[in-house]
Parts: sequence; structure tokens; C-alpha cells
Amino acid sequence: MSAHSTAVDPKSASLWARHYPGHDVIGTRTFGFWLYMLTDAMVYAALFASLVVLSHASNMVGGPAPSEFINPRVAYEETIALFASVLTYGLAMVSLKKGSRRGVTGWILLSALLGLVYLGLSVADNVNLFQHGITPQTNGFLSAFFAIIIYHAVHIVVGVAWMLVMLLQIAKEGFSQNVVYRLINLRLFWHFQAVIWVFVFVFVYLQGVVL
Amino acid sequence: MSGHAANPLHHPEVSIANGKTYLANFVISVALMTVALLVVLSGMAPFDVFLVTTAIGGLTVIIQSYLILHTDTSRGQFWHTFSLLLFVPLFIVTIGLTAWMFHGLYQRTMIMPARSGASPMSLHTRAGTR
Repeated sequence: MSAHSTAVDPKSASLWARHYPGHDVIGTRTFGFWLYMLTDAMVYAALFASLVVLSHASNMVGGPAPSEFINPRVAYEETIALFASVLTYGLAMVSLKKGSRRGVTGWILLSALLGLVYLGLSVADNVNLFQHGITPQTNGFLSAFFAIIIYHAVHIVVGVAWMLVMLLQIAKEGFSQNVVYRLINLRLFWHFQAVIWVFVFVFVYLQGVVL
Repeated sequence: MSGHAANPLHHPEVSIANGKTYLANFVISVALMTVALLVVLSGMAPFDVFLVTTAIGGLTVIIQSYLILHTDTSRGQFWHTFSLLLFVPLFIVTIGLTAWMFHGLYQRTMIMPARSGASPMSLHTRAGTR
């Protein structure tokens, strides 16, 4: 024993954690959802690759030139509505930090409303195009054009529906762990749509005008 | 349960929210998108419009990902940022290589429709080929 007298005494030393510190549910679920959003961004990358390929003149035969029907002013109004919705959802997260149930509910309602304004503008613009015979089946370019716009609009529909579901869950459960991680995931989802919209606005609408 | 489960509102993912940052993001993003719209409406040469709007779009995306997606190097967000950076080469390969391959393919295989852009009649001719 004397040779080991300076060694660690197992009776007093703490060699391992005696209690499982708990798995960080919110941290892992939000990171998992973030990875999902990145795979969604890959779908957008594929759609934008299609747009680049199908912007070649040979894919525009049979339809009007993009500058004849793309309306960047409507897209700009959609941009304002979407960015305002992203801002109000961000303010809902600030209210969440303060634990204010009224604040979170109010800001999310406003955010959902602005999302609906965006959708209203988008639907009106696209219905107008359809009525003028500008449809996805006309040529390759229009297929890619509408695929990107409709895919993005579907995300907004999902986001607004998710907000309404979260309002119900907040009313039912308050700020439980599950509700909080879902609210954070919805923030990731909603704010990601704003970043994607920058690409849609710049590459589809603005650059479409000079194509 | 222990740790963060005690009060979910004390989790770092909740306390990351910042009203000032979100407001700054809104103001900067709207300003940049307004400039991009004005550039398009200004009647600049198409290639210049392409370059300027691409630059503005790229800048906006970087600012937004920092301000609202919180892609910084803090302890809580490091892996979010790093996984996004790992995806960047995938985006470049997906879009860039596809565009490059098809550009070469079109040059070698496609008969170009009449759309030189040099003639004001080109649009009319193209519509008339159908």
C-alpha cells in the first residue's frame, strides 16, 4: 500500500458523474431541425440549378419573354410583407424570452397575418399570369419559374398553419419544453424562408426582368 | 429530468432572441432589396444588373444568416454555423456544375432559336417560329 499512498483515493475522489446530467432536449431537437432545413435548402439548390439550365433561350420557345410578364414591383411588395412577418416572429421570440404569453400570442398572430398578406399577393400575381395563358406547361423556363415560386409559397402555407397550431398549443400547455422547442424550430423555419426569398426575389424576379 | 428541462425559457436557444438585431435585420434587408429593385428599374445594361443584383443578394443573405439565423461562432451556435458552411460546397456543386455542364451541352447540341438580341425583330421572329 505504501507505494501507492499518493494515488487517488477512490473513496473520496469523484471519478464519474453520479447522476445523468440530462439530455439537452431543446438543443438536440433544434439542431436536428436545422439540419433538416439545410436539406430543404438542397431542394432549393436543385430548383435553382433547373432555373439556370432552363433559362436558356431554347427553353423559352412558345412562351413570352420573361421581361414581358415578370412583375418585380409585386415581388417587392411580397418581400416587404415577408420580411415584416419575419420581424414580428422575431419579436414573438423576444416575448418568449421574457415569458410573456400575451406577447408571444400577439406577435405570432401578426406574423401569421403578414404571412397571409404575402400569400394573397403571390396568389393574385400567379392567377393573373395563368389567366393570360402563362402556365407551367408552356415551356421549360416557365416550369422552373413556377416550380420555385409555388414551392416557396407552399412553405409559407406550412409556416402559417404551424403558427396557428402553436397558438393552440401555447393556450393548452403554456411554455412547456415541447412547446418551446417547437417555437424555436418554427423560428428557424420561418427565418430560413426569408433567406430563401432573397434568392427567389433576386434570381427569379429581378434577374428575370433582364433575362 | 434535470438541466435545461427545469425551465425551458432559460435555454440558450431561447435567450439568443434579440429584438434590436431583428429590427436591424429588417431595416437593412428592406433597404438592400429596395436598392436592388431600383437598379433593375434604372435601365442599366443587363449584364451590369446581373452583377449588381447578385452582389446585393449575396450580401443580404450573409447579413440575414448572421442576424436572424444566428450563424455565429458562439458555443451554442457553433455547430449550426459549421454545418451551414459544410453545405456551401454542396450548393456550389449542385448549381455551378449543373449550369456549367448544361452550358457546354447546349453549345454542342442545341440549334439556337433566333434570339440574338441585336435585332429588335428577334422577339417577333422567335414567337413566329412556333
